[in-house]
This record gives sequence, structure tokens and C-alpha cells, in this order.
Amino acid sequence: MKLKVYADRLSQPVRAVIIFCEVNGIDYEEIKVDLANREHLTPEFAEINPMQQLPAIVHGSFKLFESHAILIYIASSFPGVADHWYPADVYKRSKIHSVLDWHHSNLRRGPITIVQNSILAPVFRSPLNPEAVAEGEKILSAALSKTESFWLDDNRPFLLGQNQPSIADLILVCDIMQIKLVGETDWNRLLGPYKKVQQWIESTRNATNPHFDELHKVLKELKEKLQN
Amino acid sequence: MKLKVYADRMSQPCRAVIIFCKVNGIDYEEIKVHISKGQHLTPEFAEINPMKQLPAIADGRFKLFESHAILIYLACAFPGVADHWYPADVFKRSKIHSVLDWHHSNLRRGAAPYVFNTTIAPILGRPLNPQVAAEAEIILSSSLSKLESFWLKGNGRFLLGRNQPSIADLSLVCELMQLEVLDEKDRTRLLGPHKKVQQWIENTRNATSPHFDEVHRVIMLAKERQQHQRLKAAKNEGGSNMKRPLVSRM
Repeated sequence: MKLKVYADRLSQPVRAVIIFCEVNGIDYEEIKVDLANREHLTPEFAEINPMQQLPAIVHGSFKLFESHAILIYIASSFPGVADHWYPADVYKRSKIHSVLDWHHSNLRRGPITIVQNSILAPVFRSPLNPEAVAEGEKILSAALSKTESFWLDDNRPFLLGQNQPSIADLILVCDIMQIKLVGETDWNRLLGPYKKVQQWIESTRNATNPHFDELHKVLKELKEKLQN
Repeated sequence: MKLKVYADRMSQPCRAVIIFCKVNGIDYEEIKVHISKGQHLTPEFAEINPMKQLPAIADGRFKLFESHAILIYLACAFPGVADHWYPADVFKRSKIHSVLDWHHSNLRRGAAPYVFNTTIAPILGRPLNPQVAAEAEIILSSSLSKLESFWLKGNGRFLLGRNQPSIADLSLVCELMQLEVLDEKDRTRLLGPHKKVQQWIENTRNATSPHFDEVHRVIMLAKERQQHQRLKAAKNEGGSNMKRPLVSRM
């Protein structure tokens, strides 16, 4: 019973789920759903996920959407997933829940707002909106500040003072990576003040390579395509 | 080592945590943090939760914030919490995670700013923002539709076709109870079309009785005050074409 992952690698939470599967040797099939061609809005995909969003998974007759729920399901259901991804210890696990919840209303909204209102606007046939981009930058900065000062310890590479990555590191870093679409200059400007954040992104990348780089190739390719 | 729950009952997620504790007989101490007085912004409270938000808990040396994380922790860490609140079964549990996640970006993202920017803001000394309210209303309406057509699909009394409540029912229904402070015509317009949603609110209230009503008293008092103020404003404007609740002549 192979796990089916409905995916478009342009989507940050999709990348987190696929990297997780690759790193943990999970047997899965990636079913491409092209966001730019609005394939997520078809009646066929609505059968998989009535919210018409990615990622979604099907495992036998079990369907699930929302990337945090998916990552927890996979970590809990597949053998061989190391404990550090989603610890059994109720205290560590609760802290992971709290950063994943915080993420929804804080960090996630930053990169999405910036990218959908600038470089991705033509892809989704919406207008450029510099005001929204500015707002997105404010949200991102506030969230990165909190990540730098609270979620990341001085001497530990991952969130919550951990020495090994959890599903929270994967989710948050994949979201921040979306900023690569707006170019290196903006990436350096937006992330420049946050040294721990930059180090943490690198730590997460190293802990999950070569899959991290492989999955993020799509951003480089899209950026080049849009610039030409 | 009693559990400490830092709460303001005007906050929807605070109510969910408190009701959960009461229903499950969890021994806790409620420490009131008044948002209207800015007590959540003090350096003392920042020691408890650096995000300066409610609810937050302290269980011995263990501190936690974000209401969904708190509800899951309480369900797992305290004995005697019935399985239906946060089932051990990985499939049921995953579905509960998915609706709790959906809630952040949908129901909460619509309901909270809508109520704030049409009604609550002045209580906290902030201006109303009709544009934010209009955008939030779109998200709220769409979320209510999704609740009616998808999350409450089938014959179950609660979310996900279930016949007993989970932490997701408590979280989402407490969010919707904030709509009580709205002008009745707005509340009717928003909730009226959704019969299953209305029934589900009632089911959740009954399943957590009498604690649900007790914990929601502060919101119902706020509702009365709002109605009183609207009546006063209507009288002052001489607004004869404004709807007024029937007043007994007895």
C-alpha cells in the first residue's frame, strides 16, 4: 500500500513532505498537481482534497490534507522514522506542536505574501501589489526576529534547543526558502540581520541533503524562467 | 504542583482550555490576565509567554503556549481524559490535527478579525477597521460553508462525523461563540444559512454543560452591553427604522 503524495514542488509544505519521505526512506508515489495550470481546482482533485490545496496524501483508503497533520501521520505510521523528527516525549512533542501552530499565523504568512504579490503574481494571473509585498516583509521580519530571539538557542543548531531536526525545522525552513524566488539581493536583505536563522537554514539543509537541494531546484528553475 | 492556566475568558482559545480542564476534572489554577488592561504586555507575563498571548500554561517548570498544543498536552498528560477528546487511533487523531490546522488559516482568520473590527476594538481602545472586517467576513463565510458541507458531513453530532466531541469541536465552537457580541442582524446573516453548524454548537454546549455556559458568561455579558449600547445609539439617532428587540410592557 504505497503512500500517494499529491504535490507541486512550487509549494513550500509540499517540499517539506517530500523531503521528509526521501530522508526517511518512505515508499511513496509523487502525483503531480500543477498549480499554475489550476489542476488543484479540478473536480477530480476535489475528491482527494475538498479544500483544493496541496499537499494531500492518500494511503490506502485514508485521505489527509494539511502538511503538519501529514508529517505527524507519516512520522507516527511508518517504521524507521527516527524519534527526533516527532519525539514520543510529551514535553518535546508539545513544544513542536506550539511552534507548528505559531507558524500558521506568523512565519508562514510572510514569504507567501511577498512572493504571491510580486514574482508569482503573473503565474497565478493576479496583479502586482507592492503594498502587500511591504506588508509581507513586515510580517516576515517580525517572525524571523522571534525565531532568532526565542525559537533558536545560542548553541544548538535546530529549533527549541535541539541537536537534531524535527518536522518543525523542515516546515519552517521550506517556507523561508520561498524567498529565493525574489532573488539573492532581497534574500540577503531580508535575512541579513538574523545570523542564527541563517545558520539554522544551513543546518537543516545539511541534515536533509541531497534531498533538500534536489527539491529546491524548482525555485531556481522557475526564477530563471520568469526572468527570461 | 498545580497546573496554572493564564487566561482571559474574553479570549476564545482561553475558554476552550478552561472548559476542557473543567469537563475532565483537571486540577488547575486560573490566573487572570486582563487583555483590556494590557496585562498580557507586561514583562512579568513575557516570562510566561514571550509571544505575549493567551492562553499559556505552566505545569511545574514546563511552560507552553498555543491553545491547540496546550489541549493536546492536557489530553496526553492528565489521567482520566476520555479517549474521544484526542483519540489514540492514528487515523482519527490525524483528522483532528487536520481540522485544527485548517482552523488557524480559515475559521479563526475570518471570525476573530471580523468580530474585532466590527465590535470589540473600541473596548480595547482601538479603532474599528471596516476594510479588514470586510476581508475577514469573506474568509468567515467561506469557512462556515466548509464546516457545513465538509467537516460536519454525515450524521455525526460533531466534527469529522463523530458522535463524541474532540478538542477540535471545543476549539472551533469557542471561536464561533465570539460572534455572540455582534449585532443580531449580522450574526443571523452569517450563521443563519448553516443549520448543521448551529446544531453542532448546541451539541458541543450540551456535551460540556454546565461548564460551557459558565465559562461563556463573560461573552454573554459583553453581548448584553453591546445590545444596550446599540439601543442607546439608535434612540439618540431617533432611528425609527432600526430593528429593536421586543421589550416587554409587563
